[in-house]
Amino acid sequence: MATSKAPSADPKSSSDLPAEQPQQPKQQTLEEDDEFEDFPVDGTPPSPHWQADDTEATQNQQPQHLWEESWDDDDTTDDFSNQLKEELKKVEASKTKR
Amino acid sequence: MEFGPALYHEFGEAWKTRDGYRLAKTISPDLPPAQLSNIWQSANSAGNWKSARDDDVKAAIKRGLSSSPARLDGISQKEIKGWVEVYFAYWQATGILAEVQQTSSWTTAYEQWKVLINALIQGYNGHEFEAWTIPCLYVAGKHLRLFAMQADENTSVNDTSAAAFQDDFDPELQKHQKLEDCARVLNRVFSLCLSDRAPLEESRKWGLYYIINLLFKTYFKLNATGLSKNVLRILTAGRGDMPDFHAFPKSQQVTFKYHEGVLCFLEENYAEAEKHLTEAWNTCHKDAMRNKELILTYLIPCHLITTHTLPTEKLLEPYPRLQKLFLPLCRCIKKGELHKFDLALQEAEDEFVKRRIYLTLERGRDIALRNLLRKVFIAGGFEPVAKEGDKPVRRTRIPVAEFAAAISLGSEEKVDNDEVECLLVTMIYKGLVKGYISRERSIVVLSKSGAFPGTGV
Repeated sequence: MATSKAPSADPKSSSDLPAEQPQQPKQQTLEEDDEFEDFPVDGTPPSPHWQADDTEATQNQQPQHLWEESWDDDDTTDDFSNQLKEELKKVEASKTKR
Repeated sequence: MEFGPALYHEFGEAWKTRDGYRLAKTISPDLPPAQLSNIWQSANSAGNWKSARDDDVKAAIKRGLSSSPARLDGISQKEIKGWVEVYFAYWQATGILAEVQQTSSWTTAYEQWKVLINALIQGYNGHEFEAWTIPCLYVAGKHLRLFAMQADENTSVNDTSAAAFQDDFDPELQKHQKLEDCARVLNRVFSLCLSDRAPLEESRKWGLYYIINLLFKTYFKLNATGLSKNVLRILTAGRGDMPDFHAFPKSQQVTFKYHEGVLCFLEENYAEAEKHLTEAWNTCHKDAMRNKELILTYLIPCHLITTHTLPTEKLLEPYPRLQKLFLPLCRCIKKGELHKFDLALQEAEDEFVKRRIYLTLERGRDIALRNLLRKVFIAGGFEPVAKEGDKPVRRTRIPVAEFAAAISLGSEEKVDNDEVECLLVTMIYKGLVKGYISRERSIVVLSKSGAFPGTGV
């Protein structure tokens, strides 16, 4: 059984992934532009001692609007759901034929 | 500011008001070449410093600092001597830096700047420099790292072809030679701050987080995350005798929390990572868009793992780069489009690997699969109602073939039932689906109460 750490380590579990387990990404250094930027220190905003008013936390009064549940999608009218229903009907049909 | 009354006045004022940031500005290398050149052209009545002996220049600086128009009550001769060394090193550095754009002598600039930072370290160790002057260490440390990176870049451009013929040539070692040296110097500064035994209000420990952040950036660049963890360990050990973290400037808090979070992230400790990154996010200045973007780059995969939540479009709205990076995956996860998820992951693989989030995002496949299975379950509809007025019950016995069809959907390959069963078992094992497989009948029997924990059905 695959462990929770490497779900696709089990060769059987990768249906449409490339045949082999994706390679362990090589250790790479971050690009220069990946570096966390300095905040100005000379008193121009944002100076190193900014006020609580200027923090991100105070900008969003409703932080719950920033994240949404990934698995409550009950919308069954989109293209993919319709496609799925068609597919399931085919399964049903082939079963009754037998 | 060239060496003259104005600079000495500035030194005196900063010293009198104990304004470390003001003092630090007098040794800033971050000036236009013309200004650096002006400093380098400094002279006094005896002539141009460039043609004078070192000792005469130092004597001139010493006279200048001591004669500062602002009266430096209480400054010791020892301390003045320390600052003379610092300013002398600075003056020499300006000569190199003024022309560095033409000469590309970044290695020389780095070496000279190291002389300056060593003079500062010496100042704290032997010349009674006080803790309020630590912003000078910030300026010195910050630019030491920048010069080191420039030097390494130039070396790799110029020297590789020639050096490659030598037997003992190690390109990796060569590539970051100065930066590694810089890490050692910064580490000394770190110890200098940490070991201060003065009472907290006048302790160099107030410089710790600035220096640690510099060290983090250096170690990240060197790919030495282990050394970053070391710093964290030392810090935890000394925490009892340190100023409260939240008393440090917010800029330092945010930078520190970001790196601490990414370190946990790389160790796959997602709960801790989320905690630190959330704090970095909440404390970050609202206008620091690039930094907020970097925080989210790691916070989004964290959320996916720890709480199965995805960023809303509103959250990503200001960040086109993040939209491009994450939205396709997020849509596939939500809709349960397994095959498209795989394609999206492949599509952006290089980018994900570069940001070191590939392995984490790959785990989102479980959630996409779980959502797909749930869609099959919902599409199955309800059992016929046995009695008038009974609550309708969803169909909980689902042929494995239906799941197989769903999983194969969109892809060319057909998955056989054994594989599907294997996937289902994994999902059940992970607690994402509740139920069991009846192998002899090729049917999955799902739990009647909450087959998909975490949602209504």
